[in-house]
Amino acid sequence: MNMFRFKSIQSNIAAAFAVLILLTAVFMGVISYQLSAVAVRDTAKDFTGELVKQVNANIQSYVTNMENISLLVLSHRPVREYLSADAENDGSISEFFRTIMISRKDIASISAFGYEGQRFVSDRNDARLNPNVHATDQPWFREARAAEGRTVVSPPHVQPVFDDEYRWVVSLSREIRSADNTRGLGVLLVDLNFSVINDIVSQIELGKRGYVFIVNDEGSIVYHPQQQLIYSSLKTEAIDKVLSVQSGTFISDEAGQRKMYTVQDSEIGWKIVGVSYADELIGNRREMKLSFAALGVFSLFAAILLSVLLSRNLSKPIHQLHEHMKEVEKGNFNIQVPVDRTKEIGRLARTFNLMVFQIRELMGQVVKEQEFKRKSELNALQAQINPHFLYNTLDSIIWMAEEKKSDEVVLMTSALARLFRASLSKGKELVSIRTEIEHITNYLTIQKMRYRDKLDFQLEVDPAILSYVTLKVTLQPLVENAIYHGIKNKYGTGTIRISGEKYGDSILLHVADNGVGMDAGTLERLLAPARGGGYREGKGVGMTNVHERIRLYFGHEYGLTVASEPDIGTTVTVTIPLLLPEEAARKEAADGWQEGER
Amino acid sequence: MAGRRTMIRWLCWLAAAAVLAVLVYNLADALRGGSAERPRVTVLVKSTETGMEFWGVLSDGVMEAAKEFDVEVNIIGPERETDVDQQIELMERTLAEKPDAVVLAATDFNRLVPYADRINEAGIPLITVDSALNSDAARSFIATDNIEAGSKVGRKMAELSGDRSKIAIISYVRGTASQMEREQGVRAVLEADPRFEIMETYYSDGDETKAFEIAKSLIRNHPDLSGIVGLNEPSTVGAGRAIRDMDAAGRVTLVGFDSSVDEVRLLEEGVMQATVVQRPFNMGYLAVKTAVEALRGEKVPARIDTGSVVVTKDNIYEEEHQKLLFPFVGMNGE
Repeated sequence: MNMFRFKSIQSNIAAAFAVLILLTAVFMGVISYQLSAVAVRDTAKDFTGELVKQVNANIQSYVTNMENISLLVLSHRPVREYLSADAENDGSISEFFRTIMISRKDIASISAFGYEGQRFVSDRNDARLNPNVHATDQPWFREARAAEGRTVVSPPHVQPVFDDEYRWVVSLSREIRSADNTRGLGVLLVDLNFSVINDIVSQIELGKRGYVFIVNDEGSIVYHPQQQLIYSSLKTEAIDKVLSVQSGTFISDEAGQRKMYTVQDSEIGWKIVGVSYADELIGNRREMKLSFAALGVFSLFAAILLSVLLSRNLSKPIHQLHEHMKEVEKGNFNIQVPVDRTKEIGRLARTFNLMVFQIRELMGQVVKEQEFKRKSELNALQAQINPHFLYNTLDSIIWMAEEKKSDEVVLMTSALARLFRASLSKGKELVSIRTEIEHITNYLTIQKMRYRDKLDFQLEVDPAILSYVTLKVTLQPLVENAIYHGIKNKYGTGTIRISGEKYGDSILLHVADNGVGMDAGTLERLLAPARGGGYREGKGVGMTNVHERIRLYFGHEYGLTVASEPDIGTTVTVTIPLLLPEEAARKEAADGWQEGER
Repeated sequence: MAGRRTMIRWLCWLAAAAVLAVLVYNLADALRGGSAERPRVTVLVKSTETGMEFWGVLSDGVMEAAKEFDVEVNIIGPERETDVDQQIELMERTLAEKPDAVVLAATDFNRLVPYADRINEAGIPLITVDSALNSDAARSFIATDNIEAGSKVGRKMAELSGDRSKIAIISYVRGTASQMEREQGVRAVLEADPRFEIMETYYSDGDETKAFEIAKSLIRNHPDLSGIVGLNEPSTVGAGRAIRDMDAAGRVTLVGFDSSVDEVRLLEEGVMQATVVQRPFNMGYLAVKTAVEALRGEKVPARIDTGSVVVTKDNIYEEEHQKLLFPFVGMNGE
């Protein structure tokens, strides 16, 4: 069983919607994750850039400070005088240096070294020089001398010239020149505590793991939190790339680590570089993913719920329609499908209802037409005078004429004439019971003359019913049957008794004979409807037709009933509605009394 | 009309769904507080004494790696390097705390073995640093190759010595793996050289004064003594002070181990000729890095040599050596 092969519209729609909603949710999730990742990365980039700029600005401000200090010192005449050996140190220079340094904790020392006579003055009176290390050998000294008055900023280094100190400093050095600027007198050294820069740089937080390092123009590392690892080649930085960009950002891939470098050029020839880990830029990546996953799971449930509801809503009217169609299939056309709110299904239901209505109409029409046709056929059949009867009657008249029984000839001929006339009855199907009784009287008169002692008849019709209507030629076939099948075969005289009375809303007409009668089987077959629309030949054909005609005209509750017992006789009862001629005419004109009962 | 009402109903559904989605998102957002699980690494050093630059710098390396690899480290250790009992006690406490990984600088080659074995049995990766253990418990051993460092000292001594030389070795704590290996390295070089006569090994127990006394008596009692090898910082500084006091600089060559301001002064004064410097920052860094790798299930090398550098008077202020000789300890605001 393939569980993905849905058979019903509902499950199809449900699955399709679930998949659609889930896909949309996943798609949106991925897109929004990407978008927010990009946004976060951009923010991080800007933020890092700002931080690095800030670091640069801070370092720059310290260096500017040192430069200002150096300018102060350079413009101080006693310093020049002392270094050029024009004056001795009376402590006022140290005092001046100390004044400058007041409230400047970042400055480690201010000192001046003369080219001649090893002259040295510092902010501290008691400062001693390291006997084993010579200031003239130090890079800051040599570079300042070579720079001829321009400032030189050293990388962080240990300052060994002071005895027993070994402080980490950044040195600003500058040659002190003679007043006429023709020759150098010595070197001014301003030492900045390196801890100041170290603090600025190490306290910068670039995510959890990011850091800031500094390189100089030559690409050697000025500061790096993992400087020792770099010396030991345990770590490398993309220094070539850093040097190739002035200021800006680039991404570097090293040993599977994506790092973002933010470079900021500094005026003192350093490059401040902020390094952030790319995977950390989106710090809450895990949480974001978790959220999107939760969203996805939720969407799935929502999708299933929504699609089940939606598909049920969609397929419910279809199911309903189907149920009604099944009813129609069974033959029940008397139904009406409730019209759904949905446009399409509603239209379908309306059309279906219309169709069922039309089928019902058509079927009614067909039934009516069939009945009309049958009625016409039966009428035509009924109107015929049996040729045998005519022949026999005329034969009887001839016999009577030959025997010169003119009275009887007149009687029989006039009865025959009235019989014909009654059967014409101006083409009307409904006649009064009086007319019908007259008709049957004429018929019986003729038959009695033919059969003489063999046949006798009695009429006992309630005069109250004579004005009501009945179908014409109702009784004649019954009487004919009674004669030919009941009395003709009987030994002795047979009596036919015709009676009529009102019975509730109906009229009952009885044709009773005391002929041979019938057994139960024959009786049962007698009024059974003819199959296949054919007419049964022989016995009872006339009766069946009468029965059918009454039912067609008046409805199924009317018609014939037969009671019979062998050797005793048969009684046929005609039941018809109690109708006056006017009512009957109205109904016949409307041609619709069958509809009322269907 | 009916269609529009249905649409409105669906829109309501969608709105409800959107609201719920926002709720779920916020819930997830709120939950993230407790989700950061950083591995905990306990680093057991030999000494937490503030004066001990070596361990301070090693701790800097540990902290730097902790930041880079996002682990929570706890650096503990006995006050003094010689206090093996206290380290054992700390080791037991560590066992009870069950960190994710342990980095150990063993104060004793043998006595800490059972505790190291128990850590290993508990499934906690153990990394030894600086000093080895007489056990296979550690996944990795990160240290200076002390035999190689010792032979560097030996070679430097051979380079500085004349035709006939009598050399004394002042070691520190007897039984420590690192001192044994250093001595082995020194002896391997010098004993192979017919010029040298190696005296017995003296033990300062890591005490500068004791080393000073030993050296002083050596210089006094052995006029033919031409060189002293100090196997660690106090032993070297003690010997240097003795040479300075006895005015023996130039007669007695001193080659030592490790670095300190005192040693730098001795170098600058010319009392000491060379020192072999280790890289404690790298040790600390690599110990944590290796611990993290072991935690990730990666295969880690059994032995990592962090190397050593020979520093003489001439190259003290080279950029690279400054960092090794004058570490930043205490400047990071710790």
